[in-house]
Amino acid sequence: MGKILCATRGGEAAIETQEAAIRRAIDQNDELIFFYVVDIEFLVHAAYALRSDIVEEEIDKMGEFLLAMAVERAEQQGKQATAIVRHGNFIEELIKTVTEEGITLVVLGRPANDRSRFELEQVKKLARRIVDKTGTEVWIPGIELP
Amino acid sequence: MDHTKVQASATRRGIKRLIPWLCLLAIIAMWTIARFDAAPPAHAQEGENDSHHAIAGRVVDEQGTPVSEATVRLTLEEGAEPTDETETQPDGSFLLLLPDSVEPHNLYLEVNRLHFAGQHIKLERPDMAELQAEGTLVLDDIVLARRLGISFWATTATFVLMLVLIATERLHKTLAALLAVAIIFTVSLVGGGINDNLYVFDFEHALEFVDFDVIFLLMGMMIVIGVIEETGIFQWLAYQAYRLSRGHVWLLSLILMSVTAITSAMLDNVTTMLLMAPISLQIALAVGINPLALLIPQVLASNVGGLATLVGEPTNILIGSYAGFSFNDFLVHLTPGVVLALLGLFGYTLLRYRKQYMQHSAGLSPALLARLKHNAEIQDIDKLKKAGIVFGGLLLLFIFGEPLHLPPAIAAIIGAVVMLLWVHPDIEQMMGVVDWTTLIFFIGLFIVIGAVEEVGLISLTAGAIGRLVAGNLPLAMLAVVWLAAIISGIVDNVPFTAAMLPVVAHLSAIIPGAGNNMLFYALAVGAAMGGNTTLIGASANLVTAGISDRAGYPITFKRFLAIGLPSVLVTTTLGTIWLFIHFF
Repeated sequence: MGKILCATRGGEAAIETQEAAIRRAIDQNDELIFFYVVDIEFLVHAAYALRSDIVEEEIDKMGEFLLAMAVERAEQQGKQATAIVRHGNFIEELIKTVTEEGITLVVLGRPANDRSRFELEQVKKLARRIVDKTGTEVWIPGIELP
Repeated sequence: MDHTKVQASATRRGIKRLIPWLCLLAIIAMWTIARFDAAPPAHAQEGENDSHHAIAGRVVDEQGTPVSEATVRLTLEEGAEPTDETETQPDGSFLLLLPDSVEPHNLYLEVNRLHFAGQHIKLERPDMAELQAEGTLVLDDIVLARRLGISFWATTATFVLMLVLIATERLHKTLAALLAVAIIFTVSLVGGGINDNLYVFDFEHALEFVDFDVIFLLMGMMIVIGVIEETGIFQWLAYQAYRLSRGHVWLLSLILMSVTAITSAMLDNVTTMLLMAPISLQIALAVGINPLALLIPQVLASNVGGLATLVGEPTNILIGSYAGFSFNDFLVHLTPGVVLALLGLFGYTLLRYRKQYMQHSAGLSPALLARLKHNAEIQDIDKLKKAGIVFGGLLLLFIFGEPLHLPPAIAAIIGAVVMLLWVHPDIEQMMGVVDWTTLIFFIGLFIVIGAVEEVGLISLTAGAIGRLVAGNLPLAMLAVVWLAAIISGIVDNVPFTAAMLPVVAHLSAIIPGAGNNMLFYALAVGAAMGGNTTLIGASANLVTAGISDRAGYPITFKRFLAIGLPSVLVTTTLGTIWLFIHFF
């Protein structure tokens, strides 16, 4: 029995990816984990005093909420799932979690429709990097990886 | 033995913790004493001289603005040693005294000021007669012409470079401001040693341009907000909006916008959005709508609401301190206009999002609703009560501090100290909350603006705007509001507002009827409301976009512009209408 890690942020575009991960976990009878990284890099734009620890905590709660929605979606389809929230750089935390949890398949979402072609290339590049670093298979639903 | 040691060590630690606060209190005390114990004006001191003849006058620039620190010499012969010599006061006035022993036949005045062409004036026979008869001669205004030398061009180029670096984000804005300061001082002090024309000002004079009221007010409010952030009040308020709306999304949006506007006015809009956006996003998912339909109206309301008070926007703090506005001045002259603009924004939002708001709620499972409720709980009731009492006291100090000669900066520092002593005594953590980068940015910015003011760029700009509006006050008001709104939508409104302050002061001095500071309020309206035009127009927009992006709902530049620009047209028009109703 393998372990599927679905990296997701929530959002309409992510639902498609979550659904794909749920279907695959059911088909393969694999364990399913939804994954979210709290990244507060955007706070560089806040030109005023702020408690980054409190903001980080709020985004952590938001991430847990989004993953709880994904877990509930899986349960509605008869698949038990769990959630992991990490803090820090998305790529580094993803690679670390893949190794620590013994993940056999990573599911990544493709950029939303209004995003640029450049961002799709970024996701493909990330997929290649995960494969290189961990040897774990990466799947982007609807996208063929070389 | 051990117990005694532990006790002594704890006492030492306690004393060590108190030292910074004692120093701070000492500074406040010295400042307060200095304000009450100000030295008598130079004229009063000079008046003690036993003289029968006095010559008074005023030195102004070509725009009619007083010129301070100009040297005025009185001589009996052209080029001779001065009989008396003085410097003009901040209002441009001067008073020269002629000793009894001197019997004047001819009198000459030499007026000199750096960055101006000098004036040599021979007093004419009627003036001499008046002086002999009356004992005092009041001269017509002496007009000094600007001298646009190398220092003017070097400083102007540096100022433009700083603005470009900030606008393009090629450098962090604090670094851009410090770079500009370094260039100006190098040109002025090192270059000035080689060529006099490169001299701008010395370090002491530069520091006179730094508005420490702004620095202290910002610092005090940063600490106060830092403590309030811990209580969870923002998240709780957002959840109460959800509860009160009872599933009506349009009502939820209006309540959230109102709560956001009020908290932005009392605290600041960036903090408000940082803490309300995550919970608002979860609420949007709970009612089954796209979170952007709540978040974007919220951030628009936040930027408009911040305009209502002195402490709601950094631009208001700048304007208030420069023009000497109290907390109550903003409440009287701007808050009703902000309410009017918010009503317009409500209407615009309901029209814009009518389809989303009419959607039926998808509803969440009881487990997710329980999680949402848990995420919005007050973290520490006791801390909230204490913080609420201190903040209430601070608001009272802001409102009633004016008759007590308590400037907002000192009120904020007192609030911060009480907050730290009573609510959150961890000084180390709280010092980390103070955004020193921003404070240093403001100091650098003040020096750069001081330099461009010194070399004459500000008065030239004011003169050009004055000519453009041809002394017409309503036209000047429209120009200030809309110019500020347009520019604030494209670039950071803080450096723009700081640069505009002396320009507006010049305009207020030269345009008939503008002496009641209405143009400063016009600047505040434009600078705050213009921030809603683009995603980069205000920090609150960027941090909201950052949070929604992390939830998979990106706010693109184009999407924000499509919603923000019409909102600016609505709110700025209503703000302008209020200014006209109130001031004309």
